[in-house]
Amino acid sequence: MNKNREEEIIREVLLGDTQAFEYLVHKYQRPVYNLMLRNTGEAEMAADLSQEAFVRAYQRLETFKMGNRFFPWLYSLSLNLARDWQRKKSRDRHVFVENAAVMVRDQDKVDTQAMLNNHMDGTKAFEVVMGLDQKYREALILRFRHDFSMKEIASTLGITISGAKMRVSRGLDMVRLQFQEVSDDR
Amino acid sequence: MTVNDEKNILDDMIIKGIQSLPEAEPPEGFSSRVMAGLEPKNPSVWTRFCLWLIEPRSVTFTPVRMASVLATAMVLLAIGFFALDGFESNGDVRLSTVRFVLKDAGMNARSVAVIGSFNGWDREDAVMHFDQDAGTWVLETRLPSGDHEYMFLVDGQKLMPDPKAQMTRDDGFGNRNSIVFVNGYHEQTL
Repeated sequence: MNKNREEEIIREVLLGDTQAFEYLVHKYQRPVYNLMLRNTGEAEMAADLSQEAFVRAYQRLETFKMGNRFFPWLYSLSLNLARDWQRKKSRDRHVFVENAAVMVRDQDKVDTQAMLNNHMDGTKAFEVVMGLDQKYREALILRFRHDFSMKEIASTLGITISGAKMRVSRGLDMVRLQFQEVSDDR
Repeated sequence: MTVNDEKNILDDMIIKGIQSLPEAEPPEGFSSRVMAGLEPKNPSVWTRFCLWLIEPRSVTFTPVRMASVLATAMVLLAIGFFALDGFESNGDVRLSTVRFVLKDAGMNARSVAVIGSFNGWDREDAVMHFDQDAGTWVLETRLPSGDHEYMFLVDGQKLMPDPKAQMTRDDGFGNRNSIVFVNGYHEQTL
């Protein structure tokens, strides 16, 4: 589904075709749910917050600017919800990060044995990235997993473009450093 | 292997690691739960209009059709160019200020307009204003050189020739239209 198709769907939804919104839910439910999971560490809460994110996106769809990509807009809105939840809970983020890794069900894991055998370094990278502070972790995930441009990262995280570049760069530095420490330990 | 090479290899590993981060599937029936909580939107006429405005549309054309459109555009441009050239060179279309004046003289008119060949005999196009001090109806306009036929229309109904006009012409319907000559060089007051 390309950007134009998404805009067509958004137009249809705005004109009253509620059911058309389900295409967007199907497409983005996974990244939104995993964002919530990384931030809450609780599957049930992640599902509730994800649902709230989509409902809020639907309610505020009139404010979406046609011509932009829908996913960064949705991600930004979801991230704000996750932050609000964290503020309310005021818990130590590291607990969630560790839990978030554990929360991945066995059937969802990406061929873990193969990763251990053939991509050991990728697994280490996963551990290190999940252990980062949220602001660096999300910047790296947005950049390298979801292919966001620096402008989109800046807009999603509510920072300047140079701030986004700095976060990605610092995030990579942190991963490099910890990556080497982990490698040295093994 | 240089330090830079090592760094690049490490970066590649990290990026691949991020790209292959394992993800959990949302719970079964998640999208149905979301959809069940949505109220249908009822867009206003304005919203519909705005969406219609920004809706992309495809335009198709054939080379032959495009060629004919381009040829027409070129002809119109050429005509416009020559017309403009003639306009500036002969000076015939130079506009002059002409002031129409009609004394009210006890008519107690509510409105007076100048209708004529220069405004398509349209009453809305040349409504006069009343000068209280002079007791006259006045309209100042700019006309091209040449002679122009006109009449005063009083209170939207009564046609009246200009009593001060030096020339009149039969309109073929039993009335005589007043005529103003505009020489193109001086302001005129009638």
